[in-house]
Amino acid sequence: MQAFDYKYQQLDPVKSFKRVPGPEQYVPGHRTCAGCGPALNYRLVAKAAGKDTIFIGPTGCMYVANASYLCTPYAVSWIHAQITNAGAVASGIEAAFKVAMRKGRHAGPFPNIIVMAGDGGSVDIGLQAMSGLMYRNHKVLFICYDNESYANTGVQTSPTTPYGAATTFTPPGKEIPEGKTLFPKNPPQLVIGGHPAVKYVATTTIAHPLDLMNKVRKALSQPGPTFMHMLAPCPKGWLFDEKMTREMARLAVETGMWSLYEWENGVYKYTNVPKKYKPVSEYMKPQGRFAHLKPEHIAKMQAFVDEKIKQVKEAIPVAAPIPVSRQEA
Amino acid sequence: MAKELPGYGTIDVPKEREVPFGAVTPAPVCVQNMFQTSNWRIVRPVKDDEKCTRCLICYLSCPDACWVYKEEEDVMEWINAFCKGCQICIQECPSEALTAVPELDFPDGVVRLDKPF
Amino acid sequence: MAKAKMLTGCRAAAEGAKAAEVEVVCSYPIRPYTAIMMELAKMVADGELNAEFIHGEGEHAQLSVVLGACAAGARAFTGSSGVGVTYAMEIYSPMAGGRYPAQMSIADRTLDPPGDFGSEHTDAMCTRDNGWLLGWACSPQEVYDNTLINYRVGEDHRVMLPQMVCQEGYFISHIPDQVILGEQSQVKEFLPPYRPIAPLSLTHPVSHGPQIRPDQGAPMDAMRAQVFLTLPKVIEEATADFNRIFGRNYDPFVEQYQLADAEIAFFIMGAHANTCRKAVDRLRKQGVKAGMARLRWVRPWPTHQLAEALGHVKAIGVVETSTSYGGAMRGGNLIHELRASLYDLDEKPLVTSFMGGLGGETIWPADFDYMAKILSEMVKEKKTKRYVYWIGM
Repeated sequence: MQAFDYKYQQLDPVKSFKRVPGPEQYVPGHRTCAGCGPALNYRLVAKAAGKDTIFIGPTGCMYVANASYLCTPYAVSWIHAQITNAGAVASGIEAAFKVAMRKGRHAGPFPNIIVMAGDGGSVDIGLQAMSGLMYRNHKVLFICYDNESYANTGVQTSPTTPYGAATTFTPPGKEIPEGKTLFPKNPPQLVIGGHPAVKYVATTTIAHPLDLMNKVRKALSQPGPTFMHMLAPCPKGWLFDEKMTREMARLAVETGMWSLYEWENGVYKYTNVPKKYKPVSEYMKPQGRFAHLKPEHIAKMQAFVDEKIKQVKEAIPVAAPIPVSRQEA
Repeated sequence: MAKELPGYGTIDVPKEREVPFGAVTPAPVCVQNMFQTSNWRIVRPVKDDEKCTRCLICYLSCPDACWVYKEEEDVMEWINAFCKGCQICIQECPSEALTAVPELDFPDGVVRLDKPF
Repeated sequence: MAKAKMLTGCRAAAEGAKAAEVEVVCSYPIRPYTAIMMELAKMVADGELNAEFIHGEGEHAQLSVVLGACAAGARAFTGSSGVGVTYAMEIYSPMAGGRYPAQMSIADRTLDPPGDFGSEHTDAMCTRDNGWLLGWACSPQEVYDNTLINYRVGEDHRVMLPQMVCQEGYFISHIPDQVILGEQSQVKEFLPPYRPIAPLSLTHPVSHGPQIRPDQGAPMDAMRAQVFLTLPKVIEEATADFNRIFGRNYDPFVEQYQLADAEIAFFIMGAHANTCRKAVDRLRKQGVKAGMARLRWVRPWPTHQLAEALGHVKAIGVVETSTSYGGAMRGGNLIHELRASLYDLDEKPLVTSFMGGLGGETIWPADFDYMAKILSEMVKEKKTKRYVYWIGM
């Protein structure tokens, strides 16, 4: 098949706060909670992507709270998808634009096609469609905004809810003191493990806006499917004061609960790695969803985080090569 | 058949109740005016301009894009109509230029809207 | 006039999609419709069709891909059978309510449990309340024709609804019969290009499907229902155009065979109508005034057209090849709506139903003789004795 120039956009990195693109593509006027992490997340992603973008919004907080009552805050084209099928709907949109360009109906540029799916819509009920998209080499960026629950339906557990979190499906009680007994899925690892068409996967948080926007732009500049996992703290669901939304994301990184990295063509690159990790209890104490935990539960969480930290340390390449002895040289 | 069969009648949706075709709405241009959430807040951020270093952290921390940097005047401007009073900007400001002041202290505080939302 | 080719129903559907120059095709394998996709795959690979051929990860994904493609302005095509049709159930209403006029080509198949490759109408019939166009063909020729007619009707701006074009699995999908394919000039005259009303665009940004309040829900439903009031007219226009351009002779809604002076009649849908016509011929030779009404559209249900076509008949046997467990007649699906269509007539025909062809079984000429005998008895005794007879059981 002949190579066709689909005029994919190449987006330059944002060098400083002052150089952040001014126009809002996710405009004020939405029903998200005051201090909503995912809303800030959406705003930053939309800013980075720019006006030649189409968003796919599966059901979740970023559908119901954003698009309430026939109003939406998207200045670019957007379509609702079922919570089950965002990856598939995005695939269809991408295919339609490919044919439209081949037939001369659309001059270009090729749109940035971005899925903004919650954790459920990414790795639970939406997992099948997400995987299909990653496998089929569509030029789509799939973003999982992770508020670690099915928040919109009243904070039920999802596969990314941390161990020990209280949700309305994992309430702590006499029989089950920790509330949630299961440890979470690792979304980027699900993608990295077995999808050969994917060349770029990254994690970020709303507390690192330049990092977030630059990773989005880098992903959008790839010619195939890409995946991003973004921590978007939820004051209502995690039960913390709404002004601390960004602080929670920072603490997640500082305690090792969340790591910032890029995976590109098989190589991991970590950033913002703390020189000394804070104990995970500092992350958990301000959050009401962990208030019921006993020291033994927090210790279990620390052990889980220590394992994650170990993986980070092992993945970072050694700074200087090991010297070769003179005899072998 | 001698008798005339019933028809389906008409379905007359009053104009004011009509829903757009296929539930497709045009995109808002720069704000979604149908959802002014200013009446959600009980405090608002007040800026001490002398302390403000124009670091732009408030601009990048607001989920509702309520801080805008006015380049010509070199000043941060607060958008009244959409601020929900979450106080993230106040928390994040590194130079303590922002303080939370109760809405009721302001003559235009506690905005009332015509429609419930 | 083009030469007839021996094509299976599956191949005919693929040829129809190719003639319609579909742009996005989403596949997933399930017997017996899979050949439709295999044929299209070859057409795309050989450069005969400029389309994206997407390997969906399941039927639910197929419909989702096609929804997205349609929203972005492409003519989209997919299909399925049996439990694949029901697996995609979530997406049918969003597609119809979102007014995405893509087409789903169905070679029907009995629903599980357990696996049964044989034909039954139940799979697509389960979806009939979601707001799609829905109808059955009785030959590969009609499959090809319906493919084009449905795109024309579905994409009409007065309609803008997705369509299900159904054929019997195996009997039509896999047995070849004469098909005359249209010339490209005929297709171009009949079927204009797809013009979406407010597609996902970079220059005219739109939001598809924001959340609504409950009080906005009723008008949403009402506006979806309004389409079905004007839809029959669009079908009549399109069928007349098709007949003229392609030289066919379809009644838009109901094929009427020896019905004008019939005293007993079979009301039937799909492939078994071919056997039914022969049975009607034989019965006529024996002096029985038999006739057949073959339903071409389940949605929109042609209420008045059926009352007019069947109102004079004394006893009607609905041949049911689908199940409605616990339904009013404890049998199939068609009888309920047929009885409803005839209810307001001064003189109502007697109506009963016969469960036949279930599981992919053949309905034999002898079965039609059996049905005719019962219908004749009903005429003589002037009463319906039973709502339903299960042929052979």
